[in-house]
Amino acid sequence: MRGLLQIAVVVAVLAAVPLVVQSNTTLNFLVVTLLIALAGQGWNILGGYGGQYSFGHAAFFGTGAYVTAILQVRYGVNAWLAFGAGIVLGAAVGGVIGALTFRAGLRGSYFALVSLAFAEVLRIVASVAPITGAGVGTLVKLDLRVEALQFQSRAVFYWVILALVAVSLLVAQRLERTRFGTWLIAVRENEDAAKALGVNATQVKLGAMVISAAITAAAGCFYTQYFLFVDSGIAFGTRMSIEALLTPIIGGAGTVFGPLLGALVVQALGEGAKLVAGDAPGLSLIVYGCVLVLVIAFAPRGLIGLVETIYRRVARPTKREAAHD
Amino acid sequence: MPDRKSPFTRREFIASSALVGAASLAMPSILRAQGAGVKLGILHPVSGALSYSGTQGRLGATLAIEEINAAGGIKGLGKIDPLLGDALSTPEGGTAEVEKMNSAGVAAIVGGYASAVCLAVSQAASRYDLPYVVDVGVADSIVTRGLKNTFRFGPGFGVIAKTALENLAAINDAAGKPAKTVMIVHEDSLFGSGLAKLLNAQLPAHGFQILETIPHPTPTRDFNNVVLKIKAQNPDLVIPADYYNEYVLLARTMQQQKVKPKGIYSVLGGAASSYKFVKEFPEAAKYIMDCNHWFDPRNPKALALKKKVEDKGQFYTYEVYMNYSCVMLVADALARAGSADRAKLTAALESSTFSGHVMPYGPTKFVNGQNQGAAPVNTQVLDNDIKVVLPANFAQAKPVFPMPA
Repeated sequence: MRGLLQIAVVVAVLAAVPLVVQSNTTLNFLVVTLLIALAGQGWNILGGYGGQYSFGHAAFFGTGAYVTAILQVRYGVNAWLAFGAGIVLGAAVGGVIGALTFRAGLRGSYFALVSLAFAEVLRIVASVAPITGAGVGTLVKLDLRVEALQFQSRAVFYWVILALVAVSLLVAQRLERTRFGTWLIAVRENEDAAKALGVNATQVKLGAMVISAAITAAAGCFYTQYFLFVDSGIAFGTRMSIEALLTPIIGGAGTVFGPLLGALVVQALGEGAKLVAGDAPGLSLIVYGCVLVLVIAFAPRGLIGLVETIYRRVARPTKREAAHD
Repeated sequence: MPDRKSPFTRREFIASSALVGAASLAMPSILRAQGAGVKLGILHPVSGALSYSGTQGRLGATLAIEEINAAGGIKGLGKIDPLLGDALSTPEGGTAEVEKMNSAGVAAIVGGYASAVCLAVSQAASRYDLPYVVDVGVADSIVTRGLKNTFRFGPGFGVIAKTALENLAAINDAAGKPAKTVMIVHEDSLFGSGLAKLLNAQLPAHGFQILETIPHPTPTRDFNNVVLKIKAQNPDLVIPADYYNEYVLLARTMQQQKVKPKGIYSVLGGAASSYKFVKEFPEAAKYIMDCNHWFDPRNPKALALKKKVEDKGQFYTYEVYMNYSCVMLVADALARAGSADRAKLTAALESSTFSGHVMPYGPTKFVNGQNQGAAPVNTQVLDNDIKVVLPANFAQAKPVFPMPA
């Protein structure tokens, strides 16, 4: 219950933001942040809870993005349906990649490399296949109607992506409470020991991969509806794979709020670095990189881990004092 | 992991002092954003994969603004206050900057450079009916979506490819048709792929046989395999469609591997008509032909701008004079509109007959946001310089084809 309450409070606070903040600059920033958080939460299910570090989550992000765009542009499918289809097909791609890699027994850095390779293969295919528009990409027509899943107001887009993030938070929270989640964590901690206790490791990892892929694909679907343009570099490029794994690692991998916190911090750092650097091009990226290094160096378990450590240090002496009384 | 004993106070101190420093450094840029006159958004990818082109574009735009402001600004409206934005070479980066510029109250936005950025920027700006002038972005879809706010002063793919093919056929015919086979090397985003598609569709009609089309991503840092493929197929003509860095690398790798086709003919070659390339790698650049954006070599204003840019130690690249011309176009429209009102400015741009630019264009006339007078020219690297070889009314020299061995 406590976990659900936390999610409810965080989502309620975030949902109230557009009522207070009118600036589209801020809303656009928050939409992009939540988009990254959603992709990161997808990674977190597999990487954080399952210990399978994927370097190729762009494969799912890109599938979601392309399916949403192509179904609308080439087949005239309704945008909402296309969005749903994007999630389903993203999950299916996750299932296929998962089946191939996990059945082959790939773990650790081997799994990471193969996942990266899948994303790269998809990028190359997308950059030459006629159905994706090849290198030209696919442009979704600007059509600001609810039926077309496009909104004049950035606030509505914000609530849509927030709803998706809320669902992903609930999924992560359920993982911590269900048998499936316990199996998954057991596999992360020691796959051989988990197997010895009767956990079907391959199936559990495959299940996590499908959920993970579906969530990251949803981020891709949203990207298409928000920016209305997708090409192979945007969809399957390594940038999205890195964003998807960076945010949970910074925020705290294997925690419910890790990706959300990580995305907020990473994106705010990027913007803050731009303010500091002013008009000097590229300086913001240097500042951003330095701060990231510091975060990793001083908070290897992510920000949530850091907060817990500080909390314990602060809480312990007071307990001792209480015992003396 | 065992807990370490050291307290966090020192780190917290570092972190908080860094934040204070960041905040105090941030203040000047907020203050600088204020000021009278007309605000104009200047948006380029000045960091990321396209940073060189973006920086050059910014240079051209700021030089135009300096010139306008030195002459007293825009009549009735005062000086132009530029808001410089960095699109980070991504559509998201461009969109975020549009939001910022819109809330800062700019009258219009100039720039974009890459087609993917232009597409995203034009859509974001259209939400606010904010006039947007594309500086380079050549994808035809930028101006064919019926966005009222988007204007392109330069030519698009369709016109460029058509001109390039006609001129190639003309050059080949004049030399007695020495070239029959072609290989295309292109970068795989909107610009290169779109062009490769057009070339594949139209080159056979002009009597050329395409041996192979090789796509590669931007950035690519090694062209040895691509050049080995070219060497194996031995085409008469190599047609590269790349951004600057890849173009230079390809040309240098061809030189190193001693691959000498009868001609290197580029369409919008990122470096083929770049003074930087010709100066730094004169041997690799020799006789390369290009159909590209270029300034009007007979226009004294264009030559004065060239001198100004070179005096700054910079190269006079197409981004510079195209952005210069675009800012001048907007300034002219602002003066005629007599207001920074977006609807009035859009109307003034639509009816523009602007002639104070430095490009070799016909009369300015916008149809659906596209300037009908815009056209590319053919250049060739001759005597360590870049000369216009076609069309005849702007030409400074005759084309040298096939390349002397």
